[in-house]
Amino acid sequence: MATSEPRVVGKSLPRMDGAGKVTGTAVYAADFALPGMLVGKVFRSTEPHARIVRLDTARARALPGVRAVMTAADVPDVRYGGALKDETVFARGKVRYVGQPVAAVAATTREAAEAALAAIEVVYAPLPAVLDLDAALAPGAPLIHEEWASYTAIPILHRDGNVCNRARIVVGDVERGFEEADRIFEHRFRTGMVHQGYTEPRAAVAAWDSSGQVTVWSNTQLPFEVQNTLAEILQMAPSKIRVVVPGIGGGFGGKLRVGVEHFAAFLAKATGRPVKVITTSEEELTAAYPRQGTVVELKTGVTKDGRITAKAGRIWFDTGAFAGSGPGVASVATLVLAGPYKIPNLHLEGFAVYTNKTNCGSFRAPSGPQANFAVESQIDIIADALGLDPLELRLKNIVREGDEGPTGQVLNAVGLEECLRKAAAAIAWNDRRPARWRGKGLACGWWTTTGGSSGVYVKINPDGTVALNTGAAEIGTAALTGAAQVLAEELGVDLADINVVSADTFSTPFDFGAQGSRTAFAVGNACRAAVDDLKRRVFALAAAQLGVEPEACRLADKHVLADGKRISLADLARLSQQTGGGLIAQGTFIAPPTAYDSKRVDGHVYPAFHSPSFHAHAVDLSIDPETGDVTIHKYVVAQDVGFAMNPTYIEGQIEGGVAQGLGQALSEEIVYENGRVLNPNLTDYKMPTTLDMPRVETILVQHPSLVGPYGAKGVGEPPNIEPPAAVANAVASATALRLTSLPITAEHIALALRDAGT
Amino acid sequence: MSFEYHEPTSLAEAVALGARFGDDGRFLAGGTDLIIQMHRGKLRPRHVVSLHRVSGLDAIDANGAVRLGALVTHRALERFPAFQGRLRALVEGAEVVGGHQVRNVGTVGGNIVNASPAADVVPVLLTLDASVTCLGPGGERTLRLEDFLIGSGRTARRPDELLTSVRFAGLAPRSATAFLKAGRRRAMEISVVCVAGRLTLDASGERCLEARIALGAVAPRTLRAHEAERFLEQRALTAETLREAARLATAACQPISDVRASARYRRLLVETLVPRVLARCVERVREQAS
Amino acid sequence: MSKLALTLTINGERHEILTEPHRTLLDVLRTDLGLTGTKENCLEAECGVCTVLLDGAAVNACILLAAQCQGRSVLTIEGLARDGELHPLQRAFIDHGAVQCGYCIPGMILSAQAYLDEHPSPTEDDVRAALAGNLCRCTGYQKIAEAVLAVARDRAAGR
Repeated sequence: MATSEPRVVGKSLPRMDGAGKVTGTAVYAADFALPGMLVGKVFRSTEPHARIVRLDTARARALPGVRAVMTAADVPDVRYGGALKDETVFARGKVRYVGQPVAAVAATTREAAEAALAAIEVVYAPLPAVLDLDAALAPGAPLIHEEWASYTAIPILHRDGNVCNRARIVVGDVERGFEEADRIFEHRFRTGMVHQGYTEPRAAVAAWDSSGQVTVWSNTQLPFEVQNTLAEILQMAPSKIRVVVPGIGGGFGGKLRVGVEHFAAFLAKATGRPVKVITTSEEELTAAYPRQGTVVELKTGVTKDGRITAKAGRIWFDTGAFAGSGPGVASVATLVLAGPYKIPNLHLEGFAVYTNKTNCGSFRAPSGPQANFAVESQIDIIADALGLDPLELRLKNIVREGDEGPTGQVLNAVGLEECLRKAAAAIAWNDRRPARWRGKGLACGWWTTTGGSSGVYVKINPDGTVALNTGAAEIGTAALTGAAQVLAEELGVDLADINVVSADTFSTPFDFGAQGSRTAFAVGNACRAAVDDLKRRVFALAAAQLGVEPEACRLADKHVLADGKRISLADLARLSQQTGGGLIAQGTFIAPPTAYDSKRVDGHVYPAFHSPSFHAHAVDLSIDPETGDVTIHKYVVAQDVGFAMNPTYIEGQIEGGVAQGLGQALSEEIVYENGRVLNPNLTDYKMPTTLDMPRVETILVQHPSLVGPYGAKGVGEPPNIEPPAAVANAVASATALRLTSLPITAEHIALALRDAGT
Repeated sequence: MSFEYHEPTSLAEAVALGARFGDDGRFLAGGTDLIIQMHRGKLRPRHVVSLHRVSGLDAIDANGAVRLGALVTHRALERFPAFQGRLRALVEGAEVVGGHQVRNVGTVGGNIVNASPAADVVPVLLTLDASVTCLGPGGERTLRLEDFLIGSGRTARRPDELLTSVRFAGLAPRSATAFLKAGRRRAMEISVVCVAGRLTLDASGERCLEARIALGAVAPRTLRAHEAERFLEQRALTAETLREAARLATAACQPISDVRASARYRRLLVETLVPRVLARCVERVREQAS
Repeated sequence: MSKLALTLTINGERHEILTEPHRTLLDVLRTDLGLTGTKENCLEAECGVCTVLLDGAAVNACILLAAQCQGRSVLTIEGLARDGELHPLQRAFIDHGAVQCGYCIPGMILSAQAYLDEHPSPTEDDVRAALAGNLCRCTGYQKIAEAVLAVARDRAAGR
């Protein structure tokens, strides 16, 4: 940590990759091309649940320009996946959702590839489709995976038929806790399926070389995970697969896992030419990895003065035809259901359930908005029923420094009270209903900074510039700029002296990936580790050159200073290159495990939140009581970021996260009917435009974490979490209507007001 | 999506090509509807006849009566100085069509021929008693816009005809127009419901002499609310009469439930927006008078 | 189906293209001319990442036939910087933290450019309305609006 005034960290310095992005010279995976490249396209199921009776690709193969048509028969029979390996490259024997890949083609032009798709003949025999959670959980429900018991899965999961995991937290004795309560509240909530909405489609280009190695240029957030998955799917050694990320146009968790890379790789192998596969908007909205829809049941007991004595809850995730991130998300959800509250008795369960819909995945704070919507809505309902101020009810029950989390972890750097008070003050909470049809709402929560390891190489060049070589991908958050700020601070150089090379499984060190708000945190710490190593070499060399002790050396102003003498890093690097192989060091960081009580959890993939962040959102809005339209006057976020590494880009994360959160709250939903998506296009999948977004006021609260670089915590995911609950609470305040289903559209509000006789 | 492409340089040439290709061809104006439908496979014309080199189709004449060439873009409509006053609803309708990019190339003629029941400028034109002129190999014919629109995506245009212009008479004194749109977002929306209104008041400013109300997205085609209009004519304009007009307009519409909205909500929106549009017209007439 | 011989003026340079009539301007820019600064996504004029300026007006290249651009002047993001100097909008987008993943940015900058050329003194609401046809999923639009307003203020002050 810096003992003097920081020079680089904590400053709103411009991002390092900005020039390429504003000039259009930055190359994204969707832009990437190779000479002789073919166009790959995927043939997808039109049935939600059906046996494949006949699949004939002969006519397609014969069309001009078509170079390959592949089906399950042409690829190894492998099941892959994360915690649960249930996915196949192409459907085998049966299809389980509309949009499931059945075949893939490669052709010389887009038109030829589309003609090939149209020429594939398939006959389906429909099976009873499981269209929603109720249908999936009903006794005697059709099994979406008849052979579920034979699938490979991590042993900790609890699986049974259409339930692909059940995670549980038990603390104390909820029944006793409910007996102690003066009032018990039970509510049910529902949230819809939403898409990450990145503006760059998923894309991959694959090319094989003469030695049997394949390179895949992809916009994945997890190049090393994709490398491993491709190894399983292609049945090759991972070292023969190179995944490179040229650039990503937004990910938000939707680009974690293989989406099109495997098709590109197989088609490139079959044709002997590079192949590019890029998704369409329709494919994104029918066959990607959206956020699961949920049903939540929450039962909370409180004393009449508002102390929470017990909470029991269940959240069901409609995770679609394949598990995807479901098992993990169901686990994380239980921690969100507990909330940042001191509750002595808990019984919380998360279920990931199969249905015949697209397999869902991870979207920025997976389970966060869904579970938080239930928890924070209910808190307000309770406050209202008890005649208590919702802010006071929260302050009475929230965790503070040194308190225990739901699974027994000790909480440090707890900035929640400060966040709540500041957010409430910023919307003038003392005047909660300033006018008819106008109301204010609060919501608070907590979230993790995901662990996993990150490695970097750091090299000082003879011209004094510094190369930072990291396996992490920059997905747009400027996390790598933040990590580079740490490096610059520690090395005594400027941010402008650093060049970043990233995300290439051949030549960059392993990184767990751009997920879970971990990149600046982990890569920043890896840089600090690298600098520690580098300092030893640099000081040893400098000491010899200057005739001083290494202990007397320090780094400042691109030089080593000692006893009134100095030598530049550039000179040292030049010397080292001539005599010692260069000034290069390696650093690795893996977050220390967070201690928790393992007796409290079961079937749980994510039992503690590491270096947790805390946050509070506050919104002031009005309703048009006839049309139901919502106008947001003010939206405030107070977020405990630990240490604001680069305030401008942290604000950017908050402003953007709120936009996605408001989209889920007010306008976005992938709507299914009879197993088909009714709105598979951007005309009817309604993401907020410039005119829909209010200004967001951000308040950066800093309670430094014990582990993060300079005390930083993960910042990217949290802003997505609280908007739905904050909005629902403000709407309730403005209208006395409690809406428990997302999205809260103008239609819902208007019709509910009508039905209530208003 | 392959086709033969033609670029006539005169109206006569365009009409001749239209006659030659009939239903195998489509005229291309801005392309903001046609190209998208072709990409989606809904339309597969063998011939595309681009109009961008035919001169004379993009003029706006507004000396008393108004004549809009078929290729007038929404942007040109938005900005036309003479439409910023009493004909303001034309601007209000035009400026909510897509984003700037769509409005810069999308044309009024193309929008009319596309005949989406949710079109935004069309209801405004209906309240202005607009007529359209089509030119075919047999000559010109003019129809009332209301008769030209037949159903969703369907008009009375014959396959060999080109819509060349839209016309409407100048507004009588003490008249005003207004337009309101409802959608889930504040931009880039296809109307869930839209309402256009035109009122002409008497000298006292209290009574309605002439009323026009047009509704979008509540029927297979943009709808004139005739009964509501007749009710208002010769009546005093009060909160009650506006509400009754809204009730009659709501009764006349046949909305569907789709992924954008339920029929019930669409009816509620008609009931809500009709009085607002009419009240705005009244306000605007009174502002002119003062 | 016969190909068309087109002469397209892109960023001040003439390009002779021989291509099928159905090819869009976007496709020709990205695939034939290697100008990948103009992005592809929805291909239905809903997202604006493909925005270019056609005779100074912002348009969606994804639904424009290349043939419709014959004899007209196209400006893409690659044509904005002059002699290696960033355009003020490009500079401002960096300075105000308005760039995150960057994929929407070329279209966003061009929409802003076309708007500011005609409306030198916009309010924030004006700027937002001007950019309503450009979706951004990363930024929530706030710093984008601030960057555009800053450029407008600088221009008005003669900076």
